[in-house]
Amino acid sequence: MTSSKDYREAQLRIENVSKVFTPEPSLLRSMSGRRSTAGYIALEDVNLRIEDNTFVSIIGPSGCGKSTLLNLMAGLDEPSSGQILLDGIRIRGPGPDRGVVFQNYVLMPWLTALENVIYAIQSAQPSTSKGSAKEQAREYLSMVDLDKAMGRYPREMSGGMKQRVAIARALSIKPKILLMDEPFGALDALTRSYLQEEVLQLWEKQRVTVVLVTHSIDEALLLSDQIVLMSRGPNAKISDLINLPRIRPRKRSIIETHPDFLAVKQRLEEHLLKETRAIEET
Amino acid sequence: MNKSSLSKPMGLVVSIVSVIIALIIWQILAKQGLMGKNFPGSIETLKELQWWLSDPFFNNGPNDLGIGTNLLISLRRVMIGYGLSILVAVPLGLLIGVSRLASSSANPFIQLLKPVSPLAWLPIGLFVFRDSELTGIFVIFISSVWPTLISTAFGVQTINPDYIRVSRSLGASQLRTITKVVLPAVMPNILAGMRISMGIAWLVIVAAEMLLGSGIGYFIWNEWNNLSLPNIFVAIIVIGLTGIVLDQLIGALQKRFDYQV
Repeated sequence: MTSSKDYREAQLRIENVSKVFTPEPSLLRSMSGRRSTAGYIALEDVNLRIEDNTFVSIIGPSGCGKSTLLNLMAGLDEPSSGQILLDGIRIRGPGPDRGVVFQNYVLMPWLTALENVIYAIQSAQPSTSKGSAKEQAREYLSMVDLDKAMGRYPREMSGGMKQRVAIARALSIKPKILLMDEPFGALDALTRSYLQEEVLQLWEKQRVTVVLVTHSIDEALLLSDQIVLMSRGPNAKISDLINLPRIRPRKRSIIETHPDFLAVKQRLEEHLLKETRAIEET
Repeated sequence: MNKSSLSKPMGLVVSIVSVIIALIIWQILAKQGLMGKNFPGSIETLKELQWWLSDPFFNNGPNDLGIGTNLLISLRRVMIGYGLSILVAVPLGLLIGVSRLASSSANPFIQLLKPVSPLAWLPIGLFVFRDSELTGIFVIFISSVWPTLISTAFGVQTINPDYIRVSRSLGASQLRTITKVVLPAVMPNILAGMRISMGIAWLVIVAAEMLLGSGIGYFIWNEWNNLSLPNIFVAIIVIGLTGIVLDQLIGALQKRFDYQV
C-alpha cells in the first residue's frame, strides 16, 4: 500500500458490523427442549467511516442501537459479525486509546475528583509517577474549569460537575478518539447548554476525534461536523449520513440562522418523528 | 435524621435517667425477695464492680484472676480467631462473588454449616487440637467466618458493573481493577459483615470459655460454682461494655469507608 498524500484511510472503520443479543441460556430453557436461537438483532450490517479529528454525532430514535454501536467501538461489547478498526487495528476489547464518557458519569464514589483522574492516568500509563499523574490530572480538571472542586467527592458535586470530571478523566488518558454516550442526557436544560458550550470550546482547542451518541437534534447540530442518522430497531441500520458546513468556531445561534443548518434540522426532525411514530404505533 | 423533637443532649439525659430508674427497680425487687433469697441488689453489684475494677489485673492462680486479666485472655482469643476468620472470609468471599464455579462449590457448605451452633464445634476442636486454647480460637473462627464471607460475596455480586466497565475502558489491569475498584466498592459490605462477625465472636467466646478453663466466660462459670451472683453480674456488665466498644470500633471503620453518605 503506497502512502500518497491524497490517500488516507479513515481513522475508525466499522465494517459490516451486526450485533445479536441472545438470551442467556438458562437450565430450564435448555431442558424444555425448545431451542430458541433467534436472538434480538440490534444492529444489522452497519458500515461507517469516521475521519481523523472530526466531531461525529450518532442520532436516532430510542432503542435504535446507537449506544450498542458505541459500546462496540469502546470494546465493552463484541460485534456478532463484522469488525471495527481503529487506525487499521482491529478492536478486540476496551483500551486507553479510546476515552469513554457515560451518561451516568460513573465516577468512583470513594475517590475525589482529582483522585478519579489520577486513577485513570495511572491505569492507562502504569509507569506514570504519582507526582506526574497528579500534575496532569490538575491540568485536565482545570481545562474543564474545576480548579476549585478537585478535592470534592462525587456526592459533593452537581451532575454537571460530575460529567465534567468524567470528560476530564476520558481526555486525561490522551485517547485517539473520545466516545460519549448521551453525556448530557441526565442533566437539566441549562446545565446541558453550559456543558455543550464547554465541550465545543474544548474540542476547538483539542481537536480529538469525537463520537457522540445523542437524541437531541440541536446538540448534534451545534457540535458536529457529521451526523449519522440511524433507523429504528430491531435490525437498526445507518439510514443517512449528513455533512454539516465546517464553520468553526461555532455559536449556538447558527442552528437557527444558517440555511444549511435549518435544512438539516428539518430533515432530522421529520425522520426522527416518523421513526418514533412507527415505534409508538406498533 | 430527626427521630423526634428530643434534642441530642436531652436524649443523653433521658438515657442516664432510664438506667438509674432500672437500678432502683432492681434494688427494690432484690430486697423484697422477689427474685429469690439472697439475690444481689444493684447497690451490692455496683460495689462489687467497683472492687473488681479497682485492681483488675491481679493473678492469684488460675481460679483467682482479676477481671481485667480474664478479659484480656478472652479478647486475645477473640482477636486471633476473628482475625483469622476475616483473613479467610474476605478473599474467599471475593472469589465466590466473582466466580460461579466457586460459589456453586462453596454454597452447600455455607448453607449447611452457617446455622450450626458454635458449641457443637467444641468437642471436634478438643478432639483435633487436644488443647483448650486452640479449640477456643477454632470455635471463634468457625462461627464468625460466615457473616463476613456471605456479605463480601453478596457485595461483589451486587457491585455496579459500570465501575468495572470504566476501569477496563481506562486500560486498568485485572489486578488493578480488583484492588482499586472492586475492593473499595465492596468495603461497606465487608465491614457490615465484619461487624456482625465481631458480635458473634464476642457472644461465642463466653459460652466456649465456660468449658475451657480461663477467660471471662470461665470467670462466670467459676463464680457460679462459688455461688457469687454479684460477681456474675459484674462479669455481665463488663462483657456488655466490652461488646459495645468492639462494635463501635468497627462502626467507626464503617463510617470511614462508607462512600454513599
